[in-house]
Amino acid sequence: MAHMRARLARNVFGVLAALALLAVPAAVLAGPETLVYSWTSNVGELNPHLYSPNQMFAQAMVYDPLVRYGEGGAIKPALAEKWEISPDGKTYTFTLRQGVTFSDGTPCDAAAVKKNFDAILANAQKHKWLELVAQIEAAEAPDPRTFRLVLKNPYYPTLQELCLARPLRILAPSAFPDSGNTADGIKKPVGTGPWKLVETKKGEYDLFERNESYWGKKPAIQKILVKVITDPNTRAVAFETGEIDLIYNAGGHGTGQVSLETFAAMQKDGKAKTLVSGPQATRNLAINSDRGPTRDLAVRQAILHAANKAAMVKGIFLDIEKPAETLFSPTTPYCDLGLPPYAFDLDKARTLLDQAGWKPVPGGEFREKDGQELAVDLCFEGNDPMQKAVAETLQGDLRKAGIRLNLIGEEPDSFLARQKSGEFGMIFGDTWGAPYDPHSMVSSMRAPSHADYQAQVGLPMKAALDEKIAAVLVTVDEAKRREMYRDILTTLHEQAVYLPLTYTVGIVAHRDNLDGVHYGAIQSEIPFEDMVKK
Amino acid sequence: MIRFIATRLALLVPILLAVSVVVFVMLRMGQGDPAMAYLRLSNIPPTDEALAVAREALGLNRPYVTQYLDWLGKALRGDFGISYVTKRPVLGELLYYLPATLYLAGVSLFFTLAGSLPLGIVAALKKDRLPDHVTRLFAYVGVSMPSFWLGFLLVYVFSVTLGWLPPMGRGGPAHVLMPAVSLALMSLCINIRLIRTSMLENMDHRFVLYARARGLSERTVVGGHVLRNSLIPVVTAVGMHLGELLGGAVVVESVFAWPGVGRFAVSAIFNRDYPVLQCFLLMMTAIFVTVNLAVDIVYAVIDPRIRIGAGEAG
Repeated sequence: MAHMRARLARNVFGVLAALALLAVPAAVLAGPETLVYSWTSNVGELNPHLYSPNQMFAQAMVYDPLVRYGEGGAIKPALAEKWEISPDGKTYTFTLRQGVTFSDGTPCDAAAVKKNFDAILANAQKHKWLELVAQIEAAEAPDPRTFRLVLKNPYYPTLQELCLARPLRILAPSAFPDSGNTADGIKKPVGTGPWKLVETKKGEYDLFERNESYWGKKPAIQKILVKVITDPNTRAVAFETGEIDLIYNAGGHGTGQVSLETFAAMQKDGKAKTLVSGPQATRNLAINSDRGPTRDLAVRQAILHAANKAAMVKGIFLDIEKPAETLFSPTTPYCDLGLPPYAFDLDKARTLLDQAGWKPVPGGEFREKDGQELAVDLCFEGNDPMQKAVAETLQGDLRKAGIRLNLIGEEPDSFLARQKSGEFGMIFGDTWGAPYDPHSMVSSMRAPSHADYQAQVGLPMKAALDEKIAAVLVTVDEAKRREMYRDILTTLHEQAVYLPLTYTVGIVAHRDNLDGVHYGAIQSEIPFEDMVKK
Repeated sequence: MIRFIATRLALLVPILLAVSVVVFVMLRMGQGDPAMAYLRLSNIPPTDEALAVAREALGLNRPYVTQYLDWLGKALRGDFGISYVTKRPVLGELLYYLPATLYLAGVSLFFTLAGSLPLGIVAALKKDRLPDHVTRLFAYVGVSMPSFWLGFLLVYVFSVTLGWLPPMGRGGPAHVLMPAVSLALMSLCINIRLIRTSMLENMDHRFVLYARARGLSERTVVGGHVLRNSLIPVVTAVGMHLGELLGGAVVVESVFAWPGVGRFAVSAIFNRDYPVLQCFLLMMTAIFVTVNLAVDIVYAVIDPRIRIGAGEAG
């Protein structure tokens, strides 16, 4: 037995020694000049004109737009120093910032910008979701500092859509593939932005370095290390043990960096600094005006009055997200309209239903009208705990008013299929957030494949509504545009086709060693350049 | 012997072919649409137009038979397609992540054997006494503990509370300890019970009685006769354990942000990345079949009573 033990010990030692040799030394040691962040995947090859697997926050780090979206929707100069819009709203003339170079030293002039727009237009098929791409008639570069966009219609959200993290950002012509078509891939990620991608280790990390030739305010931090962490709990532990410095919800794939519960716990224990952004988008339930009892306006209004949002916000959203009273938060451009909220008022809900002929049945829990039960299907993603919790709470709330809510939880793709087909009584959705709100969301209300269209199609004024939406997108007159938005949004509010739940927020947690952390104006842009590591 | 190995290897071809059909059909029978998943990852609203564009780009608008034959034709030439998500060749991606998983599974297998042998032997020798009870209780708890839960417990104790070990990622030997232990525990506990039972069975055999009668020392009897004979089922179990370890790696790798093929496969499942899943499952099948073949060969080597090929000749 003794020699067996000795042999075992020898073997153990041998294997451990072998392991030590095999082990890879930690490739990147994060020093004080490095900020460590994490994401659910690698950032991709960083092609500014393509989608997945390219990650938006990283595309925004490396590539600049012509103009940038600022707080409250103000459009700020970026690669374009100033711009002019022709009186007919169809020609945008940009004066480019002088002396800007790409991170490889080549100049960023109007020809380079035109080359990018031409490449994007050549693949217009891939960008069909983005209205601006369809509206561009031509991109011109009359001289090295002047870039001109000619549009087919006076599409007013042009500047807003130029701010997006993709696809309208500028790649160095030297990095274009030989075919000139960026859909074939790029040679290397070279932009004019504050950061450059210097190393990617698949499944482990991406490393960015400060772009020393950046035209704007130079970042204080030298390097950003983005570790690949798929699991939110693992991310929380990595933050707690100091493996990462920052947790920041940046939209897109990997939005949920940590759960609201984890974040609430961080807020409570006070070891990390936490901050919550202003309203981003609106979580809402679209109510179908073309199917079942919700065809009746009174039923839709009763649902809005019967929902106890305050309790929901406290119990499910832990008071981190705030209750929403209108489809768009009043901080959204054109949306500060002072519309009267549908207050939580069970008596009012009951009265509305009584008046509309939905009467309580003796001995029954739910109301009926002409023998039809007051039952509504609420569709949600079965494995989304937030949607499930909201659905269950709402089921309890509406029961008190005599409305039966059937909960239909399904896997994500079937859920999306219902949004498209309109097979729902109520269904979860989010507005698009800045810089898309309100124009892209409103625009999509005209597309039959959207839940918004399906929910509204039973409205008597739907055709007129769609005409107004088409018109508002091409108005040149600012005052008129404001009036048209008021008209559209007031109709939607009065017709009660949306039950707004909460305004989503971006959550940020960072360690004491970081200063200057704030939330960006659009979700996909993380302002790393304002952060300082002590 | 060589004929046996050749036959078994040749059988791999129809097995892989059958698996490829089953996997292909099952993926497409399940709910979910890769084009929809792709749009979700890209933050593009899933309009009918956008879906049509994505389906065409991913080659999903063709009939299933065409899709399968096209895939098979390319796969025979070593081309398993392009990942819908990473846009890179699938085989290259999987081979890139495989070594990290094999390393983790290897260390876990070592922990499994190094832990279960002494514990199993002790439990058998001290049957129905305190060490046996303690070991059996440990094995019972260990088998019942889900690996991700154990992983989080270990992280809580050794990373968050004590600060001794890194909670995630790949790096030095310290990085592999917790993932390997989380992964190994279940196999380790199964093995303890297996060794114990096997030892106890062998101790009842006559050759043990005769050995004792010949006046051999207890060490020679246990070490040379009982243990050697008890190892045969353990060899079979190693084949199974390797399966458990590779399967378990899928969960453990996500918990510890370990850059292995399991975590890559989990993402592929979420994103309905068919080409990755098809290739991953074939790869796993090939590994299982090969390991089982190796186990059969090892059998013959350690136990002269088993003669491979004899059955086929007769």
